[in-house]
Amino acid sequence: MADVAAGYLPILLFLAVALALSSAFVGLPMLVSRLTGAHRPDPEKLSEYECGFPAFEDSRDQFDVRFYLVAILFIIFDLEVAFLFPWAVSLMGTGWAAWIAMMIFLTELALGLVYAWQKGALEWE
Amino acid sequence: MITLGHYLGVAAILFVLGVLGIFLNRRNVILMLMAIELILLAVNINLVAFSAYLGDLTGQVFAMFVLTVAAAEAAIGLAILVIFFRRRGSIAVDDANRMRG
Amino acid sequence: MTYNFAAIVPELMLIIGEPILMLTASTMGRRATKITTWGTVALLIAATIAALVGTEPSSAGPLFGGLLSADPFAVYGKALIYLSAAVAIIAANSWFARDDEHGPEYPILILLATVGMSVMVSATNMITLYVGLELNSLSAYILASYRRTDARSAEAGLKYFVLGALASGILLYGISLLYGFTGSTQFSAIAAALGRDEAMGIGLLLGLVFTLSGLAFKISAVPFHMWTPDVYEGSPTPVTTFFASAPKVAAVLLATRVCIEALGPAIDAWRQIIIFAALASIFLGAIAAWGQTNIKRLLAYSSINNIGFVLIGLAAGGAAGVSAVLFYMAIYVVMTLGAFLVVLNLRNAAGEPVEAIDALKGLSSRRPGMAAALAVFMFSLAGIPPLFGFWPKLMVFNAAVEQGLFALAVAGILGTVVGAFYYLKIVKVMYFDEAEEELHYACGNLEAAFIGLFALIVSPLGYLLIGPIGSAADNAAGALF
Repeated sequence: MADVAAGYLPILLFLAVALALSSAFVGLPMLVSRLTGAHRPDPEKLSEYECGFPAFEDSRDQFDVRFYLVAILFIIFDLEVAFLFPWAVSLMGTGWAAWIAMMIFLTELALGLVYAWQKGALEWE
Repeated sequence: MITLGHYLGVAAILFVLGVLGIFLNRRNVILMLMAIELILLAVNINLVAFSAYLGDLTGQVFAMFVLTVAAAEAAIGLAILVIFFRRRGSIAVDDANRMRG
Repeated sequence: MTYNFAAIVPELMLIIGEPILMLTASTMGRRATKITTWGTVALLIAATIAALVGTEPSSAGPLFGGLLSADPFAVYGKALIYLSAAVAIIAANSWFARDDEHGPEYPILILLATVGMSVMVSATNMITLYVGLELNSLSAYILASYRRTDARSAEAGLKYFVLGALASGILLYGISLLYGFTGSTQFSAIAAALGRDEAMGIGLLLGLVFTLSGLAFKISAVPFHMWTPDVYEGSPTPVTTFFASAPKVAAVLLATRVCIEALGPAIDAWRQIIIFAALASIFLGAIAAWGQTNIKRLLAYSSINNIGFVLIGLAAGGAAGVSAVLFYMAIYVVMTLGAFLVVLNLRNAAGEPVEAIDALKGLSSRRPGMAAALAVFMFSLAGIPPLFGFWPKLMVFNAAVEQGLFALAVAGILGTVVGAFYYLKIVKVMYFDEAEEELHYACGNLEAAFIGLFALIVSPLGYLLIGPIGSAADNAAGALF
């Protein structure tokens, strides 16, 4: 068990450093702004806004189905690119055959994008 | 030391959680999609662990394929879910009951 | 590594044609429906010819570092799959033409599924197997929910998706264990590793069971059949026609290749599982069909029942068993497509498609030709002797007896008798019941020709085909041993 714990020492140190630094990054500007007198909150400034949603609401709320459409397209193009990483790393060893194969794959993806575009799936309205 | 057995254990637990998630969940279809992802993740852990253990890259290549196909699967699942919701106005599992027998 | 592209010409034709048709569809909109439909049919026929012609011995070995094989087994499967997919597309064309839901994407989705199935029957590596299977399944999920205005279609798509994805997950989990404990995803290497160990470890055994469970789902064998009736009923009828034909062939051939090529040395381990699934499918398929009132549901149970008989051939193993499986699938596809083609063309007075068995009442007096054709398909599916559907069942039982599985063969014959009842019920409804409502039967010439041709094939005249189909099946089965 001690062996296992020792294996995780670096990540523990990393977390400690990260915690210290990030609290400094958050805490120091707040402190400084109080000291310099730049602390003038108003309702607009205090409202959180993220990804089109107010941050503090019931998360079980229904939201617009158009987000799903974008999400669907995003998932595909985002994850298919995962093939690029091993391909790029090993390209020197795999040579032209791999290069051509990847170009064909990317062309297929691009054709898929063209199809989605022409179908109007990229329009928000 | 973390051995192959530990990895297989985690994967087996995730796999069982995923399967149970599909059968026990009666509330929301989205949870089923998550359970399916959990199963595929368990498979990926297995593949990568075996790959490292055997010193054979095939398992990692396979994991890449599982990952990308899972993305396509999730996209299609969401699309079908949207159609279902538009018809029935609900994504509760118990509402999928038009056909019995 | 060498690249033998000549051996995969059929697949290349399909995957090069697909994006062209897809872009045509997106630029021209609905007007492209005719182009994509007939374009896809032409591609499939061309690919069939390419597959049948291009079987020189050089392409029979492992291709692309052992990922694929274009052996006679794969060619047999491809020819069956391409042709039945083409028939399914043609059948859908006139069915959808009556309402405005047909889009140019429909044949393209079938084309994509066909490419997937083509890979499935050629795969000799677990990775190719998985990619092919998923390409087929993902297209199938979309096809099941193709009618967006129909709540039943959406539900069928959802159920198919959830259970299909679960089955893929189970299959993958099994494959990952097989990979871990044999050290390879290559079928031949898995078989070699299985042959080395005298006693099978628990890990390997679990891998084998999970893999078989996933495959059993895809061929809808009991106890993994629960999705079949719902998906068959809820999907638009042309889609059901497709599901019942080509994907069944692909899944059965895939399961056969995995069992023989990859798990062959472990036959004693999987044979008991296959025998259980076979008997359970035969009896559940036969008994559950009795109370059905929807003809699509009934045909779903019929397909479960027939898969049971196919599995008897697989359980027998050996070249004779595999040959019987291949022969059975060819005849099964013809019978099923024929039955579905008749169902597709049933309409009530308002022009709506009808699916109730009661709607068949008195069909014989109004459309004697169609009633006779449906009766031929039903008797043939039941395996009643003078018709051709009897022959593959006989071959399957024969193979089982040759391997000493007498009890299995006897149970199978018993199952045939139990199953015959509900097929006869359909015939009784058509010939002896009075019609309750007006039934329209608007059948295009092409479909009528197909129905006639298929009825002719499964009629006693079909016995003339035993020679050619039998030798093709023997040749294909020989490729696995």
